[in-house]
Amino acid sequence: MFERTRQWLESRIGLKDIVDTHLRGFRIPGESNYLSTLGAVAFAGFLVQVLTGIFLLMYYVPHPDHAFSSLQVIDNRVPYGWLFRSIHVVGSNVILVVLFLHLLVVFYRGSYKRPREMTWLSGGLMFFFIFLFSVTGYLLSWNQVSYWSTTIITTIPTFLPVLGEYVSDFLRGGEFVSGATLGRFFAFHVAILPFIFIIFSVIHIFLVWRTGFAPDPRVATGMSGGAGEGFRRESYESSIPYYPDFLVKELFMAMVYLAVVFFIITFFPKLFQPALASVQADPQLTPEVIRPPWYFLAPYGMLKLIPNKFLGISLQLILFVVFLFWPFFDGREERNILKRPILRGTFVLAVILWIVLTLWGRYS
Amino acid sequence: MKRRSFLKSGLAILGSATFLSFAYPLLRFLSPLKGRVNAEKLVIRKSEVVSGSARNIVLNNKPVMVIHRPGKGFIALSRVCTHLGCLVSYHRAEQKIICPCHAAAFSLEGKVLSGPAPKPLERIPLKVEAERIVIG
Repeated sequence: MFERTRQWLESRIGLKDIVDTHLRGFRIPGESNYLSTLGAVAFAGFLVQVLTGIFLLMYYVPHPDHAFSSLQVIDNRVPYGWLFRSIHVVGSNVILVVLFLHLLVVFYRGSYKRPREMTWLSGGLMFFFIFLFSVTGYLLSWNQVSYWSTTIITTIPTFLPVLGEYVSDFLRGGEFVSGATLGRFFAFHVAILPFIFIIFSVIHIFLVWRTGFAPDPRVATGMSGGAGEGFRRESYESSIPYYPDFLVKELFMAMVYLAVVFFIITFFPKLFQPALASVQADPQLTPEVIRPPWYFLAPYGMLKLIPNKFLGISLQLILFVVFLFWPFFDGREERNILKRPILRGTFVLAVILWIVLTLWGRYS
Repeated sequence: MKRRSFLKSGLAILGSATFLSFAYPLLRFLSPLKGRVNAEKLVIRKSEVVSGSARNIVLNNKPVMVIHRPGKGFIALSRVCTHLGCLVSYHRAEQKIICPCHAAAFSLEGKVLSGPAPKPLERIPLKVEAERIVIG
């Protein structure tokens, strides 16, 4: 049966040629390891989010009077509703961990350097869109934590002069977080952002495919495609075919991703849902302690440390722009970070600072 | 066994197990919640349905009509046409129940008089207790 289907497809679309040219023929560096699979793992995680999100849409009601109760119905009455919601909630956090790791690996290996500046840029924007997914999805549960976190996040633009108030009202669809905010966040979360994200995914994957995987800087230290040279795909001293060698690694890591998600759901089901997340949003009662989710604790901690809010926001915007356009700031040819003590020191310092600010935001 | 064969077999087994462990919950997740709705009864006053008239109510999410047939007492019927699911309505002048979609006509007892409906309208249990009518 399988063989007949394969032959049927072969005679019509030349399946073997596609596999040989684009999968087996797509060579990647022989030294590629499990850390090189993190981008694909994050993409698999995104697909899991899309699927579970579609399932949740079947029961979720995006209205202030029904949003919270519809999630309670999903959790308590719909068979296995708790499972799909837990996968969606835990997955939205684990995918960020994977993306952070992917980012660190790409930076550490200097894989963002010429000719891969656009790959970094598109990936950075995708990272930003994942944060937007988190912000917009957070409000949809319409509980005390999500409501007041959104109030805080949408107040931040008011620190900017002139347009600040307008931006804040624009995000909320009014002066306060209300049904209008829920409506626009819902539209962004389920329609607009997925559309944009998929476009950027296609661009990112195309660029990775077109330029080839970046080799390990210990093997090839310089940038490929020097000044004045035309485009050429990366070539390697030793290489392996993408299929089946590397694809099997990616699939294995995708299974590890799912295993981690299920481990958290089983043993720490409330890890990403504080007690106040089970209380319906009350626009008339601000809880005594309200903190953003863990991935926003560092910027939150930074804002708490800097007394001038305008300065705090401006600094964060500048840092974001520097991060996004980093390949254009770092023009040196040496890709091996171990041979660049200043960059290595900055890298380690940035990671430590991020951890310290996160802890500061959590415990201060 | 070679390392690659081991990885492939492991992935195939894990993949199948993952797929199956998702497929069953998904099937259950998508199944309608029907049957889990509490079978509630609805009470109305007899005076709310005068002789020769009908009243539309909703019982456990199902559209129902209570008809007071002259000389024959009360009856409760589902309003869902047995042809293609449109909602039928009571026509007082003709003493018939008629579906607006394809003109299926039913008697006040729910029996098919004419048109494409294959079955009579579903009869809903009804009990008259003094001044009250208990439906369901």
